Amino acid sequence: MDPLAPTPVDAARLRRLQVVGLACGFTAGAWLGAAEAPTKMVTLGISPVVISLMMVVGVFLARWSLPALLRGTAAIGDDVRQAPHLVVWAVLAGCLWAVANTLTIFAIKDIGLAIAFPLWNSNSLLGIVWGFVFFNELRGAGWARWAGVLGGALVMFAGAGLLATASSTQAPSGHAWRGVAAALAAGVLWGTMYIPYRKAYLTGMNPLSFVTFFSIGELAMMGAIAIGDRGGVVPLVAELGRARDVLFWLLCGGFVWVVGDLFQQYAAKYVGISRGIPLSNTNQLWGLAWGILVFGELKGAGTALPQVIAGSLCMAAGAVAIALATATAGEHRRWQDAARREGTRYGIDPAYTRAALSGEATGAPRGRRRWLDWSIMIAATAVFVGFAMVARVPELAVNGGALVGLVVASLALLGGSGYALWRVTGFN
Amino acid sequence: MGLAAQRLAAMLRDPQFWVPVAVLVGGLLVLQWIR
Repeated sequence: MDPLAPTPVDAARLRRLQVVGLACGFTAGAWLGAAEAPTKMVTLGISPVVISLMMVVGVFLARWSLPALLRGTAAIGDDVRQAPHLVVWAVLAGCLWAVANTLTIFAIKDIGLAIAFPLWNSNSLLGIVWGFVFFNELRGAGWARWAGVLGGALVMFAGAGLLATASSTQAPSGHAWRGVAAALAAGVLWGTMYIPYRKAYLTGMNPLSFVTFFSIGELAMMGAIAIGDRGGVVPLVAELGRARDVLFWLLCGGFVWVVGDLFQQYAAKYVGISRGIPLSNTNQLWGLAWGILVFGELKGAGTALPQVIAGSLCMAAGAVAIALATATAGEHRRWQDAARREGTRYGIDPAYTRAALSGEATGAPRGRRRWLDWSIMIAATAVFVGFAMVARVPELAVNGGALVGLVVASLALLGGSGYALWRVTGFN
Repeated sequence: MGLAAQRLAAMLRDPQFWVPVAVLVGGLLVLQWIR
């Protein structure tokens, strides 16, 4: 017997971690989908790149304040001391996200949402490939689990195509190949972005620490793209100034998105990227629910209804198939092998890596929040309040009942999954 | 060689590092092309 072989995680604990990871994946879908709702309040003709930049500013504020609230900056500092090289990976992942997000804007403009969305949703298929090749995911999983994950992802891919076709409103602009290239490139970037995610979580970094540094790469890259797109800092600032009364809604969109993304990170950690990415891709279903039920989109589009129903059923069936194909103890041992390889390669304390993969706390017990944590939270809140004070509520017809229903459903998922995550892992 | 330098060297030798870097460069080139 190999004396360095990792101790298998107790079967009951592994099952709990898998259930929590799946719940996080479904919650991520709900909140990532809900992030589109605040952006509907923006009806002015602002550049899409500027919209994306302001959402990233909201994301940045949330990604510094929520981790400070949940764990404190001292815990983030502990993580960095254990594995400082992962800061580079996090920044790299943030850059990948920002470029992908910008590419989707151009893809929608050139080929419309109907074709673009399924193309970049192919990221889940790429995630399965990277998970298998680099991180031992689905190794020794058996044909039934392979069929569940791969089949589920393919069914979701088909469902995404149907939903996108039904919800498409944009007309192609005549640059078809350019748009296809942009959408496919976005899918490749987003699918590859999960390599740093998985790397970090196998090594032992806490998702709340990882996203903190991720946001630096994201904001820097998005800022550079926006400055380049607008032709300099001065024109960019001028455009932001003209749109100041709607910037609050974009910040809110970014904040809601971060809540979803945090759950996505925990899903990637506890069920792997091959299962976590497709589950978070159910965000398309939630986005459509917000559009149809709250904002009255597709009203009178009777011919699209069968497509919406068929697409939704495909998405749901695919997600259920993936959820039922949880990792076995044998597959989890292969994850531990990959984690051990990472630890050896980068000289990480094996206890740190092992504890993180089991969802347990590492390092010193968490203390009280420091002045820095409160300063970050107060500063982020002040920015939101400041923008809220100059915000204008646009005249928009919304279905109040559906709005309340979706908010309650999203909060219930947040509360349920958040509580389970806290009970089982203590946000580790 | 200090631990930080060892980790940096390990990262530069790690093929998993170069995959996202190459994809990022490719993405920026596509973005430049379509703009």
